[in-house]
Amino acid sequence: MTQEAQPDTQSVLTPEVKAMIGVEGELIESWGTVDVEYLRRFTQAVMDPDPRYWDEDFAKSTHYGAIIVPPIMVSYMTQRIRPEAEDAITEAFKENPMSDGIGSVKRPGELPSIPTHLVRTLNAGNEIEVYQYPNIGDVIFFQNRYHDIRERVGRDGKAFLIITREITYTNQNKDLLCITRQSSIRR
Amino acid sequence: MSAPLEALLKMTPAEIQAHNERPTADELRNKTQTYYEDVNVGDELPKYIYAPTPTHLFRWSAAIENFHRIHYDLDFGLNHDKNPSILIHGSWKQSVVPQFLKDFTLPKGWPWKAAFEHRAMLVPGDTLIVWATVTNKYEKEGMGFIEMDLGMKTQDGVESMPGSATVVLPLKGGADIPYPFVAPKD
Repeated sequence: MTQEAQPDTQSVLTPEVKAMIGVEGELIESWGTVDVEYLRRFTQAVMDPDPRYWDEDFAKSTHYGAIIVPPIMVSYMTQRIRPEAEDAITEAFKENPMSDGIGSVKRPGELPSIPTHLVRTLNAGNEIEVYQYPNIGDVIFFQNRYHDIRERVGRDGKAFLIITREITYTNQNKDLLCITRQSSIRR
Repeated sequence: MSAPLEALLKMTPAEIQAHNERPTADELRNKTQTYYEDVNVGDELPKYIYAPTPTHLFRWSAAIENFHRIHYDLDFGLNHDKNPSILIHGSWKQSVVPQFLKDFTLPKGWPWKAAFEHRAMLVPGDTLIVWATVTNKYEKEGMGFIEMDLGMKTQDGVESMPGSATVVLPLKGGADIPYPFVAPKD
């Protein structure tokens, strides 16, 4: 059980932290386009056999008029390491032979760090809003933003932060595809 | 007949898996519309049952280029992160949810939004039940909105992903849900 910070608790929601709310990253173009091969691999891995993903004739006859793509699928395109970049995995293991394989791999479009001494991060939850299915051939753009930062107090009486990062995904026509939000606890 | 969640949680993993209601490609191709009027508060959606193996996890890591070792490197997971095994991805869980909602709303409804938390570590060998129960319904701007609680429970009843969702269904005799979807004004 958590509660809002009381006056006698040392606040971690400093003016510098509050100032990060609304800060946006650059608008980034994901590497590559939405293609049938990525769609096949993704839908097989999530175990969704929907013919709207692979039967073009059938897909044309549906409400959507074409092959559709799970919006959540294009959110993972943001994690792609561009081919002209250094090999991020090799670099990560050079820096730390016990790298977890993800923590030190830098991604494009990341937000500036929150100015806090709190370092331990836990995933607090996810949200997704869906507006339009991506199509084969789409170019995906994404933009990070600090949507909200709140303070709570744990059972131990110490304040911590709940940081919500929002990512907006659009296509080459600036059509809104989906919005994801990831909240993390910073203790 | 769909088994209620409570009944599933009294079954063995093998029995639970026999009640999987994930649709086949043909069932999705031929799905008939569920209308707003067909849904009542308290209704349970069809249960999606999964029993992921290490190979399923590896396939997911490869598909989305997730290199996090806790999902495929057992030695790292056990000895470095002190996890009980390799872990099922939160990203896979959050990708199942839109599929689950899409299937319910096909062919002309809309799986608008969902929110959920990640609470428990899931490992290969777990049998997972994706469930949802309708909590509210209302009409707005000629569309039918269905609110629900949802989650992913283990065979032991541990809720690993408590959350909620809102989907949109057409009204009987009403207009199609606009595509691309336009959220109603508050």
